Amino acid sequence: MNTAAEPQLELRGVTKRFGGVGAVDGVTFQVEKGEILGVIGPNGAGKTTLLNCISGVHRVDGGDIRWEGRSIAGLPPHRIARLGIGRTFQIVRPFGSMTVRENAAVGALFGSSAARRGLKEAFEVADQVLELVGLKAKADHPVSALTIPDRKRLEVARAVATRPQLLLLDEVMAGLNNVEIDEALEMVRAVHATGVTVLLIEHVMRVIVGICRRAIVLDFGHVLAEGEPEVVLRDERVIKAYLGERYAKRLRGERGQDSAS
Amino acid sequence: MIATADSQRRWRRIFLIVGGIVAAYALLAPLTSLDAAQAAGIPLLTDKFWFRIATYVVMFVVLATAWNIIGGITGYAAFGNVAFFGIGAYTTGMLIAKAKWPFLVALPLAPVLAALFAALVGLPLLRLRGHYFAVASLGVGVAVGELVQNIDYNGQPVFGGASGLFLPIYAVGHRGLFFFYLMCGAAAIAIAVTWWVLRSRFGYGLIAIRENEDAAAVIGVNTTAYKVAAFALAAALTGLAGGIFSQWNVFINQDNTFPIEYNVQMILMALLGGTGTVFGPAAGAVLLQLLIQFLGGSLPISFDLPFVSSEARPIVAQVILGLLLVVVVIFVPRGVIDFFGGRTRLSLSYLRRSLRDTSL
Repeated sequence: MNTAAEPQLELRGVTKRFGGVGAVDGVTFQVEKGEILGVIGPNGAGKTTLLNCISGVHRVDGGDIRWEGRSIAGLPPHRIARLGIGRTFQIVRPFGSMTVRENAAVGALFGSSAARRGLKEAFEVADQVLELVGLKAKADHPVSALTIPDRKRLEVARAVATRPQLLLLDEVMAGLNNVEIDEALEMVRAVHATGVTVLLIEHVMRVIVGICRRAIVLDFGHVLAEGEPEVVLRDERVIKAYLGERYAKRLRGERGQDSAS
Repeated sequence: MIATADSQRRWRRIFLIVGGIVAAYALLAPLTSLDAAQAAGIPLLTDKFWFRIATYVVMFVVLATAWNIIGGITGYAAFGNVAFFGIGAYTTGMLIAKAKWPFLVALPLAPVLAALFAALVGLPLLRLRGHYFAVASLGVGVAVGELVQNIDYNGQPVFGGASGLFLPIYAVGHRGLFFFYLMCGAAAIAIAVTWWVLRSRFGYGLIAIRENEDAAAVIGVNTTAYKVAAFALAAALTGLAGGIFSQWNVFINQDNTFPIEYNVQMILMALLGGTGTVFGPAAGAVLLQLLIQFLGGSLPISFDLPFVSSEARPIVAQVILGLLLVVVVIFVPRGVIDFFGGRTRLSLSYLRRSLRDTSL
């Protein structure tokens, strides 16, 4: 058995290059069992690439990824899924010819090997998961009839149906309006409450602050800052990465005045 | 047009009854040629000539249904499946003609060898996606036929070479009837396998691969293994048809066991009937093979095409098939089977909607 001190997922100097450019460059961090960890960063920071490395879609060029103490770097995606790591795609990838219910059921049919189901049970799992993410009423709809927020829900539902221990969510809030983001946050909380560790990749800062105890900021493939979201977001390097040097200077000036008065 | 549940059921019942009667007639009519039936005074409902055409039709039911497993359900447009037909034919043919095996012992090895070959070429080929796979598989289909014809050992062609391979005639009463029913057995196996696939974890994995391969992989589908298995399964069924063909036709060569046009025909049949469905490819095969025979002038009910000399007929037949392919892909993308379930009806608005869906 694992000791309590051992992280569920550990990245050690993970590196992925595309034609010499280090999209992810020596990234090291840990994910503790049961937490919601946010990974944020400006466009092109390497967030999705990092997620692709963990889920096996990309092969890492350097470093190691350890799942419950065992290296999983270099394993194909289906093996990683069977270990209990589920993921969504930023650009949703539903199985278009299937109904909403079938999409979720396929997740339950495959997925983590500990939770593999037969056909009948897979559809029962699908119904439970659809209720959890709020798609129960649309279970028999074809995917083409779903709105964008509902497609994002379906993406999460399919991943949750694989019964993961760790769920990697790639910008599930992107493109949603404020009301929809609140609903999506509720959904992530509901999934987390079932005992799933969540690694949440987001571009929208508000999401991270609202739901994560801990956040990691990526920039140009490096870890820029790590800690409580409120603290991390006030970090000058983070502001600079997001909003540019000039804005950071102006902010520094304002803060200086604040403390003087 | 979405019909109500009631009329849906009615249409499905009508389809089942009509389909059942047609299938029963096709299966039972040949029996009237048996001496016992003749002695009992039952009128002859068929003749030898029809056996041959009917056996060809059923053979294409096997080929199209097999192609559907890799092309329709898995979404990998295999353009070289005729290689498996030829391998099946030559496996059985060589075992009978050279090793003197009895036919029914040699036949089971046809699907086995075809499947092994598919697994072997599938491992590298199925890494290619979309058009790349289609072109590469076409290459394999052509290459295998050339190899079989041209492999020599000590100056002697191993597989009969350009002059082909003659098999001893299989000693069985009512040969035409025997091979017709044998081919029907192969078709029944192909359809039953498809039915099982579409209701299994395996089938859901294949459809997931077709719809989005990356998404399938990250939910835990071993995409490589699944694709190779689907390819090998399609190859086994195609090889089985080839094995039956070799003994039925008695003579095999490159032309009749590796015809490139079979590649196109089996795909067209599956498309016409409805890819990804259980009965679609079979329906498409019956319709299209009868049309091919009709256009080719092989049916007794054929008539002269206007403005076409008899020599130009095969060419015109090819042109008509090509046009049909275009029309089917654009206007009936889900195949004619779509009209039989009772969910949709053939109408102008259906064609208009299809045109909109299939154009950019």
